[in-house]
Amino acid sequence: MHYFNDIYPFSAIVGQEQMKKALLLNAINPRIGGVLIKGEKGTAKSTAARALARLLPDRQVVDGCIFGCDPADTKGRCPDCQRRAPDLPVTMAPMRVVELPVSATEDKVVGSLDIERALKNGERVFEPGVLARANRNILYVDEVNLLNDHIVDVLLDAAAMGVNVVEREGISFAHPSAFILIGTMNPEEGELRPQLLDRFGLCVDIEGIHDAEMRVEVIRRRRQYESDPDAFIRSWQPEDDELRRRIIQATILLPYVVIPHEMLTMIAQICIDMAVDGHRADITMMKTAATIAAFGGRSEVREEDVREAAELVLSHRMRRQPFSEQQMDREKMEQSIQKSQQEKKEPDQQQQNPENQKPQENTMPDGSTTTVFAEGQPFRVDQKPLAAPRRIDSFRREGSGRRSVTESRDGKYVRSRIPEVIGPDIALDATIRAAAPHQNGRDGPLAVKIESSDLREKVRERKMGNTVLFVVDASGSMGAQQRMTAVKGAILSLLIDAYQKRDRVGLVVFRGTGAEILLPPTSSVELARKYMQQLPVGGKTPLAHGLSRGFEVIRREMMINKHTIPRLILISDGKANVGMGTGSPFDEAKEVAATIREAGIASFVIDSEKGFIAFGLAQAISEEMGARYLRLDDLQADKIADLVKGIQA
Amino acid sequence: MHQFNDIYPFSAIVGQEQMKKALLLNAINPRIGGVLIKGEKGTAKSTAARALARLLPDRQVVEGCIFGCDPADTKGLCPDCQKRAPGLPVTMAPMRVVELPISATEDKVVGSLDIEHALKKGEKKFEPGILAQAHRNILYVDEVNLLNDHIVDVLLDAAAMGMNFIEREGVSYVHPAAFILIGTMNPEEGELRPQLLDRFGLCVDIEGIHDAETRVEVIRRRQQYEEDPESFIRAWETVESDLRDRIVRAQKLLVHVKVSDEMLKLIAQICIDMAVDGHRADITMMKTAATIAAYNGCDEVRPEDVREAAGLVLAHRMRRRPFSGQQMDQRKVEESMRRSQGAGAAAAGAHQHTHAHSHQH
Repeated sequence: MHYFNDIYPFSAIVGQEQMKKALLLNAINPRIGGVLIKGEKGTAKSTAARALARLLPDRQVVDGCIFGCDPADTKGRCPDCQRRAPDLPVTMAPMRVVELPVSATEDKVVGSLDIERALKNGERVFEPGVLARANRNILYVDEVNLLNDHIVDVLLDAAAMGVNVVEREGISFAHPSAFILIGTMNPEEGELRPQLLDRFGLCVDIEGIHDAEMRVEVIRRRRQYESDPDAFIRSWQPEDDELRRRIIQATILLPYVVIPHEMLTMIAQICIDMAVDGHRADITMMKTAATIAAFGGRSEVREEDVREAAELVLSHRMRRQPFSEQQMDREKMEQSIQKSQQEKKEPDQQQQNPENQKPQENTMPDGSTTTVFAEGQPFRVDQKPLAAPRRIDSFRREGSGRRSVTESRDGKYVRSRIPEVIGPDIALDATIRAAAPHQNGRDGPLAVKIESSDLREKVRERKMGNTVLFVVDASGSMGAQQRMTAVKGAILSLLIDAYQKRDRVGLVVFRGTGAEILLPPTSSVELARKYMQQLPVGGKTPLAHGLSRGFEVIRREMMINKHTIPRLILISDGKANVGMGTGSPFDEAKEVAATIREAGIASFVIDSEKGFIAFGLAQAISEEMGARYLRLDDLQADKIADLVKGIQA
Repeated sequence: MHQFNDIYPFSAIVGQEQMKKALLLNAINPRIGGVLIKGEKGTAKSTAARALARLLPDRQVVEGCIFGCDPADTKGLCPDCQKRAPGLPVTMAPMRVVELPISATEDKVVGSLDIEHALKKGEKKFEPGILAQAHRNILYVDEVNLLNDHIVDVLLDAAAMGMNFIEREGVSYVHPAAFILIGTMNPEEGELRPQLLDRFGLCVDIEGIHDAETRVEVIRRRQQYEEDPESFIRAWETVESDLRDRIVRAQKLLVHVKVSDEMLKLIAQICIDMAVDGHRADITMMKTAATIAAYNGCDEVRPEDVREAAGLVLAHRMRRRPFSGQQMDQRKVEESMRRSQGAGAAAAGAHQHTHAHSHQH
């Protein structure tokens, strides 16, 4: 594939050493299995991934084979090469970067019937797709977290076996598809599925550079590059060439790198201590450490190679604790390294992190104080009481509920199927493919004669779960008795659940004189959590503002996203004392609550009052809203398990 | 396509100077990367964006190329032009404003299989979509915050590298799609996704004018325009063509505008102090400051250009904190400028970095 724009030279990227290293290691040793580059926007993620293309070394391929088969690999060849073997013509070709756009449809990813051949000769011939081109190359997905679930499934299938099996449109075909997956993503735009995450050998988290000098260098180089790309690329050519030379050298050295037994033990020990799932981490760490040694020109793996490899391998493989930022605990790793060196077993010194529960106080310009409370420990929330009412309508959820196939015409076209009833959403490409082999013997004015049995319809998919909107009271009264700490704990727990279900979450907060949409509904639970952590508490309680703002958000959400089932969760003690108009603030809040009920929005009220409920204000709001009422204390316990069985609307 | 007679003249828009400036800067230097115009209803957001079309200067294109390829950019040609190169026929054409309606379907945006061709000839052919038309032009999205999520995904994918990769509906194709994104939104109707937000080079927040006199002027001009659009447009033509000349002059000057190390340091320091994500803010601020200098007929970036650029570049890139709004703290920018200039002067004294250009003017 060829690129339109000039490619910014890899060596000219300032800083981001870990990312560059991870990419280079993959160029040296494709068996490491790719890199996921996670990071905030504007940090040269895409630039680096694309720039790598220039540095990739040549390798042997079968001349003329579309899959770029390896002549030396007698078992992993495509059917065609197998037939022609052993007299395969060999040539050298560089590894390539094959793009997988987020708008890709299934037929072009896995490959499909060659329409033209079918129409002209009535033959059923396989036309290779992206997975074919990706074999022995790099498969690059920009914004990988935006990829459709169905396409992800297809990728995972191929990645698991290194083979793409096609059974469609009367075609049976299997071909090798062993690719290095490189993806970039901004976690603010949503998370990645764990299975897909695990397919990336390495993962690097990057952020912008904070050093002023280096930042200036970033701007300066960009300016030079844009004013004269050719000259800029030329001036960095020596550095790029040197890097390629080192890659080639390392490739040659790699098979001779020795991994001493102690190093293997250390790798195993680290993986045990860091509690990773399965063994892929160990194996990848071993390969990565060896490649690091080779890149350093050494033929034996040392401790520092293992340490460096561990950082690249483990960050995305720690057992899922969604909100521990999935960060690697470096200290823990060091301990583990020392342990494996000492060889003698001492009782584990469990390091208990003293919870930083001390609230931070801030004096605002207006003299009032706001306080940021720590978040309470997450606990397992009993989800049943908060379950959404079942909706009887035209969509079904498939699988684990992470994806919904919609019947309407919005959403991404991912694949086609034979329609039960012929509707307007015809997939013409699939229809033509279906008709193509039967052209002999059909009559008609068009080049392609289509009969109703050929018709295929589009299957569209949209990313969506339910939408959960938190409307949180952050007034001064929530500060009493560490209530906010408990509330944050509760929200955190609900967020973890939303994360697992891939729901969208939003956050509306009210305090002082108004309400604010802190976070419009988003699939980034991480973002929700960040905002919630920084949430200051203080001031009066404008409950009506909060509820009406929440109502607005949900209504808009329903408008844009017709298939969503929004839930509003109000967390408050109900002590409204700021009104929107002239009436009693509490009555106003009840009025808004009634509007929410009338709009048929499923809602929940979590009463943050602790211990004995003296006022019952939140409960009154809850009744007005037709909400399910729960106490913060109750949420933690299992005792309400069956409380709300009959919640179906 | 060129229904200019229906477009309210850009220069006739009353007030909203920041918005107009942001649009003009993009007309001068497309690499700034577009504008997001945020504001309440009825603040001439859409009018201004559409009116910009009349002011856009001509540039070289390959004649007959649907993508409007740049003949000088040998690497950035579409597959078709590449086949025909060299010896491409060249013509001049103005930049266009291509609209992306929020109801657009994915296949119309990305492009798809040419159905007619497939049915009649039995051959596959790529039918270009909106992203193809948008190449080297302005992609205008009214109410951008109401855009469907999956269309946003596609936009982000294309914007990331200025290319559109198609692997769908039986066609594989790739073509350049480097566009200037101009969007308008009313924040009351919801926010924009962070990644999309970052794709807009600049952002301006506008509101209605509160001065009575000026408001009257708004009404009067609108009335005149509606009564007789043609003569209204004619009446403004001299002002419009002056503005167009100024854009062309600024474009010529832009390549010669110098950005000193001090100014680069100032930009970096502001971005560090304002805690923006990544480096796109720095780079955009540099380009914007240079363009502002060129617009003012000046061949060197000065601190006030950086200050003005900061106002346009940072507004939508600040990390949000609860109850602080995503507002730019102008005071903080000032502080940061003072600090950086103090340090810069000290450093300049210490190093032998003192260039010929004088610091006091």
